[in-house]
Amino acid sequence: MNRLSCVLLAGSILLPLHAEDLPKAETILDHFVEVTGGKAAHEKIHSEVTKGSMEFVGKGIKGKIASYEAEPNMNFTSADLEGVGKVESGTDGDVFWERSAITGPRIKSGDERDEILRASIFNPYLNWRKLYTTVETAGSESVDGEDCYKLLLTPKTGQPVTEWYSKKSGLLVKSSSVHKTQMGDIPAESLLKDYKPVSGILMPFTRIDRFAGQEIQIRVDSIEFDSAIPKGRFDLPEEIKALVRKSGATNDKPIEKK
Amino acid sequence: MPRYLPLFFVFAGSVLGQVGDLSYKNRNVETFEYVWKTVRDKHYDPQLGGVDWQAVHDELKPRIEKADSIDETRNILAEMLGRLHLSHYRIIPGTVYTELGAGGGHGGDGSVGIDVRVIDGKAVVTSVDTDSPAAKAGVMPGWVLRKVDINQIAPLIAEYLEHDKDSSLRDLTLRRAILLRLEGAVGDTVHVAFFDEHDQAVFKNLVRAEPRGRSTVLGYLGRARVWLDSKRVETGGQTIEYIGFNLFLDPSNLMPEFASAVQACLKCAGIVIDLRGNPGGLGAMATGMAGWFVDKKDARLGTLVLRETALKFVINPRAETYSGPLAILVDSTSASTSEIFAGGMQDLKRARIFGSKTAAAALPSVVEMLPNGDTFQYAIANYVSEGGETLEGNGVTPDVETPLTREALLSHKDPALDAAVNWIKSQKGTR
Repeated sequence: MNRLSCVLLAGSILLPLHAEDLPKAETILDHFVEVTGGKAAHEKIHSEVTKGSMEFVGKGIKGKIASYEAEPNMNFTSADLEGVGKVESGTDGDVFWERSAITGPRIKSGDERDEILRASIFNPYLNWRKLYTTVETAGSESVDGEDCYKLLLTPKTGQPVTEWYSKKSGLLVKSSSVHKTQMGDIPAESLLKDYKPVSGILMPFTRIDRFAGQEIQIRVDSIEFDSAIPKGRFDLPEEIKALVRKSGATNDKPIEKK
Repeated sequence: MPRYLPLFFVFAGSVLGQVGDLSYKNRNVETFEYVWKTVRDKHYDPQLGGVDWQAVHDELKPRIEKADSIDETRNILAEMLGRLHLSHYRIIPGTVYTELGAGGGHGGDGSVGIDVRVIDGKAVVTSVDTDSPAAKAGVMPGWVLRKVDINQIAPLIAEYLEHDKDSSLRDLTLRRAILLRLEGAVGDTVHVAFFDEHDQAVFKNLVRAEPRGRSTVLGYLGRARVWLDSKRVETGGQTIEYIGFNLFLDPSNLMPEFASAVQACLKCAGIVIDLRGNPGGLGAMATGMAGWFVDKKDARLGTLVLRETALKFVINPRAETYSGPLAILVDSTSASTSEIFAGGMQDLKRARIFGSKTAAAALPSVVEMLPNGDTFQYAIANYVSEGGETLEGNGVTPDVETPLTREALLSHKDPALDAAVNWIKSQKGTR
């Protein structure tokens, strides 16, 4: 899972208590990087492997999940659910794809691709200035009893993202947005909990996603930074290559390489 | 953000409510309030189709407070739900729900290997599985099932026809109720009485065996057996592929099997997909299967309308698709995902539908236990086809209606399949 949504903090800065004195969003985002280990520590990391379990709450459906991420924007995620099978998604940095036991293989395009491209950038919190055109502190709100600053992040294209950062810890505790998917616009929110240090970086070990009346709980078993990623991990599956050959194009628009 | 958003499920999950230790009338009121609030809070349309739900509550509550019998309570609840004018909202008496298998049936999934439909008020055997106990005993399609152990079938049919007379789910639930009579522990013997092809009484002692298919479990939906049958039919110098399967479940096995059957026949004269008796399963599997037949980007089978959002059932074309004639067979026990698939392909004019009208039960719904011991089924979403029609309550009407008759079965004929094959043969050279 992505460190963006994870990280956090060790120290706490003194933040104003009055609405009129709300800290700037830039300060809160930079503080988040600091409390999760600091810019230098984050910059040392170039890849991440996360493994854990997931459950559709109230449905009795459970499974294993693994994700691999590497600079600049490569990733591969596999969820293997009991009674369902595998749902995989990923990108080689060029083609964004999904291969589902239920719906089959597909290449993501349009607004959906743009959103995933943004989400696939490694170390997004170090790069938030590149990802969002404006960030603003929208107020103070409580999330599960914890006082938080509410931030509104607006990307160059696509839907704005709302994030909540704990006033006490500086950690990201909640994120919400309307996601562009093939099935339509889906409002969704994520709760991030149970932060623990991994090689000097604070990472959330529990994540709860809610969308379309469903709740998925992800519990992380292990996170490794800069460990060996299997060769070819980010290569396109054969079914996806066949779709690329069929479409005759890899992308709707070029991806900016770092 | 949710990076693990690849799955889309809307399950017909089961949620068991609390059964409190309340007085009879208090239980009635609590049951009434539970049902009323559930509809208010969970109906996929927050406006409830324009019904003044609070007024319905205020009108009926005084009556429920005075209700003196369980039947009176059920009638008032039925009247309340009837104001919605939707078929997927109903109170199922506890005894009937147990009858339908929620209570565990006979305690086993051993099978004698037959399928049945009620035709002209009789339980007629429509198929006999190869090498099944029934096949080994000589049971034939077209025979009439009269009695299972000490249970007469005719009164059961009469009861259901009366109780569910206005429900599009009638044939579906009745078939299930009859088949449950035949199920039990593997190895146990069941005594079955039939009328054979000469209307002579025939008695068979059948030892229940492992049912057909793979056992699979999908969360709280419970255990199910899933099978896919594919075969090649050579007729008039043409090759036609037949694919039938009983549920849209177990995707990690069923989808590759389905894919293999299609891929093996990409040059065939036609493909027949048999969804008769298929009550559905995972809705999104319909789009995965449609991707083998639809080569147009962003084509949809329809839209699922939930309270919070609307989800498009987009088809993902495969790298290589089948472009020839496609026939889909349905009947009144084809429901849910079967209707989404058949109706969607019909709207896209990609398939021709043969058989009889489907169950009109395409809404994702859940079943909850009520405080009075009855159960409450309600929809959590609406499904709208690309043609703009709601499948719920309407179903899929075949392009070619081919009612199943006992006479056809006794003559080893299958009117729907025969019509589909004839249509495919007539399409020669149109590809």
